[in-house]
Amino acid sequence: MKSLTRLTTNRWVRLAIGVAVAALLIVLPLISSKFVNYQLSLMAVFAVAILGLNIVMGYTGQVSLGQSAFLGLGAYIAAYGVTEGWPIPLIFLLCAVVPAIVGLIIALAAARLRGLALAMVTIALPIIGIPLAKRFREFTGGSQGTTVRWLSAPEWNEGFLENDQWRYYVVVIIAALMFLLARNLVRGRMGRAFRIVKENEAVAISIGISPYRYKVLAFTIASLFGGVAGFLYLGVVQYTSPETMSFHTSINMVAAMVIGGSASILGTIFAAIYFVLVPNLANEINPSLTALFSGAILLAVLFLVPGGVVSLPRRIAQVLRSLRRRGNAPARDAETPQNPSDGALAPTATGPKSTEKNRKRQGQ
Amino acid sequence: MEYFIQLVIEGLATGSIYGALALAIVLVNRATGLINFAQGGMAVLSTFVAYALFDAGAPLALAILGAIVFAFALGAVLERVIVRPFERGDPDTAVVVTIGLFVLLGGVAAFFFGYEPRQFPSFFGLETLNIAGVFVSLRSIGTIVVLALVVVLLQVLFRGTKLGLAMRAVADNPVSASLSGLPVSWLLMIGWGLASVLGVIAGVLVAPQLFVSPGMLDFVLVYALAAAILGGLDSPQGAVIAAWFIGVIENLAGAYIDIVGNDLKIAVPFVVMIIILIVRPQGLFGRKVVVRV
Amino acid sequence: MMNLRNASRIGGVVATGAIAALLITGCTREGDGDAGPAEASPGITDTTLSLGISSPLSGPTAGPGSCTVAGLYTYLEAGNAAGGFEFGDGNTRTVELTYLDDVYDPAKAVSNFRQLVDDGIFAYVGALGTPTNAAILPIANEDEIPQVLLVTGATMFSSDQETNPWTFGLLPTYYSEGFAFGELLAERGEVTVAVLSQNDDYGDDYVAGFEAAIEGTDVEVVASATYEPTDPTLDGQVTELAASGADALLSAVSVTPLQVGVLTKAQSLGWLPEIFLPSNTSTPATVVIPGNGAAYPAVYTTSLSKVPVSPTFAEDEDVIAFNEAFAEYGAEIAPTYTPHCAWSYAEGAILEQAFLGMTEPTRDSFMEALHSIEDFQAPLLLDGITVNTTDPTLPAIQGLNLVQFNGTGYGPVQ
Repeated sequence: MKSLTRLTTNRWVRLAIGVAVAALLIVLPLISSKFVNYQLSLMAVFAVAILGLNIVMGYTGQVSLGQSAFLGLGAYIAAYGVTEGWPIPLIFLLCAVVPAIVGLIIALAAARLRGLALAMVTIALPIIGIPLAKRFREFTGGSQGTTVRWLSAPEWNEGFLENDQWRYYVVVIIAALMFLLARNLVRGRMGRAFRIVKENEAVAISIGISPYRYKVLAFTIASLFGGVAGFLYLGVVQYTSPETMSFHTSINMVAAMVIGGSASILGTIFAAIYFVLVPNLANEINPSLTALFSGAILLAVLFLVPGGVVSLPRRIAQVLRSLRRRGNAPARDAETPQNPSDGALAPTATGPKSTEKNRKRQGQ
Repeated sequence: MEYFIQLVIEGLATGSIYGALALAIVLVNRATGLINFAQGGMAVLSTFVAYALFDAGAPLALAILGAIVFAFALGAVLERVIVRPFERGDPDTAVVVTIGLFVLLGGVAAFFFGYEPRQFPSFFGLETLNIAGVFVSLRSIGTIVVLALVVVLLQVLFRGTKLGLAMRAVADNPVSASLSGLPVSWLLMIGWGLASVLGVIAGVLVAPQLFVSPGMLDFVLVYALAAAILGGLDSPQGAVIAAWFIGVIENLAGAYIDIVGNDLKIAVPFVVMIIILIVRPQGLFGRKVVVRV
Repeated sequence: MMNLRNASRIGGVVATGAIAALLITGCTREGDGDAGPAEASPGITDTTLSLGISSPLSGPTAGPGSCTVAGLYTYLEAGNAAGGFEFGDGNTRTVELTYLDDVYDPAKAVSNFRQLVDDGIFAYVGALGTPTNAAILPIANEDEIPQVLLVTGATMFSSDQETNPWTFGLLPTYYSEGFAFGELLAERGEVTVAVLSQNDDYGDDYVAGFEAAIEGTDVEVVASATYEPTDPTLDGQVTELAASGADALLSAVSVTPLQVGVLTKAQSLGWLPEIFLPSNTSTPATVVIPGNGAAYPAVYTTSLSKVPVSPTFAEDEDVIAFNEAFAEYGAEIAPTYTPHCAWSYAEGAILEQAFLGMTEPTRDSFMEALHSIEDFQAPLLLDGITVNTTDPTLPAIQGLNLVQFNGTGYGPVQ
């Protein structure tokens, strides 16, 4: 284990891994079937949406159960733009800006709320959004939705890339840029402010950080990411309908985010993989019992790695250590396996102040 | 005028259904400080138990009683076995655990009973009373009365019994409650058990109307959450009044405000909720909590 | 805490994920587009043919969704057990059906469709759901994969054969159901009607058909209301409509408990109109009897299939065969009966007809054969309702019988 850790910290090894992965991402769609490319593209789509969610929820600590509303809004804007024949860069811009503005307006009002009250306001977004989408059917296609044929491989590339491959590259490149953007955000001053707001608002105020302003900011950024994900969604699925906004999608994204790893860029990628693959896996086990297996898988993963998949290496090390220690002094460590979220996992980004936060939430 | 009164009474009856589940949410929140999505799943599974018992020939009252016992055990066991390890950890993780339970319990119900809705008898019969031109079904009255009774019982429990006081103490401060010798572990289990019982009461009340199916409470749960939060999470009466308010305002807006119509009436209570929360973040009847540093 | 080490590990994760995806699906790219005209299409050999379907098997629409799989699966498995299906090219093949759950989610349906195609299905048949099928439609036609006999009454799947020659529906449209009821009332003279419909294409098609039939007659719509399928109760809407005191109620409600609620609520308000129910929420045992439909002067619906669970048809040969086979193959997939079970069973027989007409093992030949069925009396369809597929812009089954509730089941209109 120790030698493995040393290996991964070596700069050259890391660089080599990075290059290998980039090469894999480039080569993969060329040799994969349309189905695999579709899955990979969907992962990129939801990675962006969950990344936004992670910024507001994981980093800033503000519960959001309405991310699917922004995903749907972005997809609808894109669909309308495509049917009207607008240029793609304009569509992309609108998909980013309009949801961001909507998110900003909602956040200006809602960011004063905490915990459950905030959760409720965000739950309301998809619930209000779906009938609205049906009402404005001139723009949305009503409940039948809008089908587009869009983002096909351009003519100059005839005979080289097929549609699914072309869409994969477009989506993955945009997603990668969004990830780069998010990485820089959370590493910079803004990210530090987010974390301080999450940890303790009073401390934030005392050092001149306005919690209100940063919460609004986090929400706006999350909405922007949601909108961009909607743009990508339309590119991959080529269709949108009120179901895109479904409240269940929001809930599943929150579950995926926590499973991947809260407040972690890397965890977001795990989250997207989980989000897309688990329904497939459940279908693989028994298509008539997908709900049963999805629920069971979710709980099983949380029991194994309560800190999210991203904490897996740490978790393995922890389990190994406790096993080894148990060999020497069995009595002392008996508590650990029953209480996976306590023990050595605490010093993660989400761990230590959680009981205090827990109590705060229940207050409102 | 009769039409107006009619709409109000129907709103109250619908609101009572939201209210019953909202009470369950308030109770769990009091006991464990969690927002609990599993509530819906526990209620559905327990209602299916009532259905199965009735289907097997048990009298309705006995079937419901059996379901209540099952619900209590289910709630207590799930708290102890599945939720307990996450209670002290990150609250987001705990919420996601309850989401997982919600999905899983729905899946378990579907495994045994399938997804097609099944009819469930009403405790109150189908009769309708005509009071001065206003038609009121026994079922609506029954639902409202049961809910009012439950609120009174809960008040008695929390204000007047040792158990209730102890549960409140645990909710307010688990650490000092444990230090002062309260059996925190048991109290948490009882809290979940009671909440689960409230859930099955909601389930049985709503089942004659919505039928029994794994998804029967999905949307009721959302309304119930809205009611619980609007009412202020620590106030059972508040939750019920908010639930009635939601039911009534939804009906009236759908019928009288043209631009809203039946398609957008679902949005009305949520928009009103958002406005109220912005003005009064602690909810209509909640205590204002000062966060200490 | 996001630090440098974590960030550069991102790559490793993506790689693992991608590899996992590959392992789970286990596929590589096929060279497509180089098949000659007579060469067999994917999914068919001399002894086997594979079909695929993705329907909602969990969630609120899982009841009907499961039935679209179960009925078809029953027909195909029973046929396989009896020695297989004969094809027009002289071979006898066993037909395998792969089914997946899409939870009524369009993105998931597309994913399932791609997966099924990857697994090598010959055709995609009988899927339930308007948004899910709408999302698949462009891909199926782009890749020239049959997406046929869809269990949805939306007009969009059959109407535009120019753009979508690989897609068409199974069932009469909602439009024609509404139209049938309008015609009935139009014969009566002066009638007032209240309309309750779902706020989507399902409800709109219904109302449009009805209005087309009553145009220029003395039938008048005096009140209308819509609902969302997610509404917990329609009491408010029914109260609103009851205030009109209309003679008839077109209750285009597609959710079983809500439809029962409409029936119980209207009579509890003392409003007793003639009632028209859509075919998918008119089953006596689950809707009309629980809703005490006998209280109304008349309850009508349209019907196209025999009802295997009804005593009226207990002696019917088709029904006996269906019940026997369903208990063996379908019951595991769909524990509760909805009419979709019967429809998808009949769909199996339509497919069998198409197989008989297939002279080459290709998708082209299949589509051609599927579009050449005339006056075929499929099992479980009511007498007089036949399958005609020669007009590709219409669904395979167009006929409808208007029937009236008689206390236990449905009989002819009196």
